[in-house]
Amino acid sequence: MKGSFNMIDCGVGGQGVVMMANIVGEACVRAGLRVISGELHGLSQRNGSVIAHQRIGETAISPLVPYGEADVILSLEPMEALRYLYFLKPGGLVITNTNMIHPPTETQMLAKGEKERYVRYDEVVERIRASGARIVEVDALELAREAGNPQTENVVMVGALAAVPEIPVGKEHMLEAVKDNVPKNALDVNVRAFELGYGSFKPGT
Amino acid sequence: MAFKYITEKGPARAYMMANEAVVRAALESDVKVYSTYPGSPTVEILSTFEGALKHYDLRMELSVNEKVALETAAGASFVGMRSFVSMKSVGVNVASDALYVLAYTGVKGGCVLLLADDPHAHSSQSEQDGRWFGYTSYLPMFDPSSPQEAYDMVKEAYDLSERYSTLVLLRTTTRVNHQSGIVDIQMMNRTPIKKSDWGNDHNYTAVGVTARAGKLDMLRKMEEMKGFSEGTPFNRLQYFDGEDLHEGAPPRDEGYELGIVTSGVPYNYTVEALGKLGIRARILKIGLINPVPSRKISEFLAPLKKVMVVEELSPYLEGFIRGICKDANPSVELMGKGFGPFTEYSEYNIPMLVEALSLASGRPMPFDYRSHVKKMETLADILPIRPPGFCAGCPHRGTFTSLKRAIGSTPIFFSNDIGCYTMLVLPPIEWSDSQLCMGASLGIAAGVNYGANNKVVCAIGDSTLFHAGIPGIANAVHNKHDLTLVVLHNSVTAMTGQQTHPAHELTVAGKEGISIDIERMLRGLGIEKIVNLNAFEIRKNLKLMKEALDFKGVSAIISHGECALYHFRNLRREGAQPVPFYVDREICKRPYNCIKDFLCPAISIDERDGTSRIAPEICVGCGECAQMCGFGAIKSTATLHGGENKVYYTKADHDEFLRSKEVGK
Repeated sequence: MKGSFNMIDCGVGGQGVVMMANIVGEACVRAGLRVISGELHGLSQRNGSVIAHQRIGETAISPLVPYGEADVILSLEPMEALRYLYFLKPGGLVITNTNMIHPPTETQMLAKGEKERYVRYDEVVERIRASGARIVEVDALELAREAGNPQTENVVMVGALAAVPEIPVGKEHMLEAVKDNVPKNALDVNVRAFELGYGSFKPGT
Repeated sequence: MAFKYITEKGPARAYMMANEAVVRAALESDVKVYSTYPGSPTVEILSTFEGALKHYDLRMELSVNEKVALETAAGASFVGMRSFVSMKSVGVNVASDALYVLAYTGVKGGCVLLLADDPHAHSSQSEQDGRWFGYTSYLPMFDPSSPQEAYDMVKEAYDLSERYSTLVLLRTTTRVNHQSGIVDIQMMNRTPIKKSDWGNDHNYTAVGVTARAGKLDMLRKMEEMKGFSEGTPFNRLQYFDGEDLHEGAPPRDEGYELGIVTSGVPYNYTVEALGKLGIRARILKIGLINPVPSRKISEFLAPLKKVMVVEELSPYLEGFIRGICKDANPSVELMGKGFGPFTEYSEYNIPMLVEALSLASGRPMPFDYRSHVKKMETLADILPIRPPGFCAGCPHRGTFTSLKRAIGSTPIFFSNDIGCYTMLVLPPIEWSDSQLCMGASLGIAAGVNYGANNKVVCAIGDSTLFHAGIPGIANAVHNKHDLTLVVLHNSVTAMTGQQTHPAHELTVAGKEGISIDIERMLRGLGIEKIVNLNAFEIRKNLKLMKEALDFKGVSAIISHGECALYHFRNLRREGAQPVPFYVDREICKRPYNCIKDFLCPAISIDERDGTSRIAPEICVGCGECAQMCGFGAIKSTATLHGGENKVYYTKADHDEFLRSKEVGK
């Protein structure tokens, strides 16, 4: 393919953002596509904001998506989708988990009376929509629980991504990459998580 | 990536991170010894080598610091083994004492040092430009742009190293180390380790007369390697015709008045930016940045009207280009640092290159990146910051909560060090008076002692203590300084992924080592006042901490408590699950002592009634917050199942809880 399909994977440290990016990368290789990813590790396990960049296609050679050029933001946490919205192209697609994770810094502001209330999910979604983005909402925590392990939220999200029509990677390649990246003893639960994510996809509005 | 690409026989097409690709290349090059001290962004090199240990005949060492790591690799090379050593940018400062002399002594077995710079200081204390190490030490240095190139360069580096009996440097940046992409890997052919008998036919020394001989030898090698630099395909000409990238020089000069000299990941940004603007340019991609290919640069410059130098951090290549221009093309317009968005600060990216090339060519920007970012950032202005912080169950949270209370209103100078506790520097905590580099807390304390009346409190992790803390302690004791050293004994090098260090019973891949007793070591260094604490006992520790703080002279507080990531991962492996705590909403009076300045990621506020809430999927039941609550509202969830209200920390505790749960039924 000429040009590139650009993606941002994001979330909170510990949610499995890097694994999500690895699955997509592997799936691209399986589909015979060129792919390049850029991640930041190091602080990623310590509840901080985490982002990975992915570029799919022949002409992409940089590990960073230029501002305003991501086709998709795949986010494990709604506030992180909003935080990295500047990477999304005008009218691009945000696929976000609906489960909010309030950072301890925000909780402390409430406790110290510096802020009245937490940021609300509806506000975040409203802001994302106001940017002109389309949004797909996935209750990944609920679906991960349904699959049998709440820690499979990232695989649920990959499932939802695989259902996006404009994604250059097919469902089968994505599923194979999931199987390749998850612990062997947790294969079934992850396949279920993937399928539940895939089935939950509704075109963005 | 899947580890399969390390064990794969090859050849194959792989998807790898550059940090993994260099390991693959080193293994294919039959490397036998690998040494390192962990540091971001190089950690995946270490973990990949560690994983490779059970598949290949290979020796690996987690050295006490980068200097020892480099010396270990050099020693192996002296006796004929191929070796590899990796470290982060600032680690090379520690190793540089050995590095500069190694250039004089030369090596025998191929020896490659990977040094990883961190422009933007994502996870480092500075944006130091490591390229100068190559130039100032007279050692050849590669600068890859992609995982494939990093892989190819490591393989070339081993040839070069043995051909010229020289240590070879591979300089990366965070955006290369953590870049994943397609890598075409070759066949894995390895030989078994066979120790030689040292025959003393050559020595590796440098002092006086041997240093001068070494210097001449080194200068000769550098001169010879200039020829290599002219010919290597890593220094290559390309051109962009407005649509596509081509190898070599353009078929005609017309329309190609702009030339770009670049290396590393800025090369990638440059090529994509050219495509976005649809402009023509010649490119000289420099992959071997020391020695630079002067003749090639000179020929490249000759037909140009404008030359742009695209490099992050300092004007390293620009200096060479400027010098060569004087003869090759004095009228060429040079666009380097100071041109458009180019500065010596932070990283480059595609939008910056689009802006620079738009300025250079007069073509309009295809997209207004700046106003787009500004608009989106305004939409995001409701978001709270999400900096990294101490994990749920982290012993440091307990240690620093008690320390702060023990210090009270006494004006102290808090001399911090490098590790997870460096996060104290960041908002919203922002508690540290100084923090420089590994082990600096102690040296700084000595100087503060001369100039200020305050008690100095130094905080240092166990791994950092071994790495660079010991000289500072000997110095402080000997010179009768007045400081309290807080040793955060969490058993591992936590920040970089919980590697073991000399106080641990294990070395790498579960191999047994000899554990050094930190208390005995400190006593041996002459510290008389030492208190040992359990990091999690916030209230109980106050008195002992005060004792140490009140001591005149050098005192030490050893705060014990395993890194939560490490401890609970091991606990889960043993088949036990943490027993979380919970907030009894009937008792909670909402003073938020469990939240304020405590910042546990498991605790939030339930907006329905304002009570604190503990997320059971995050809480590991360390019990620190329960001690903060004056009302006894925080209890172990064990109490809901017939268990005791206590911390279930070890496997034995968990077994006991399960038994009581059964009885409760």
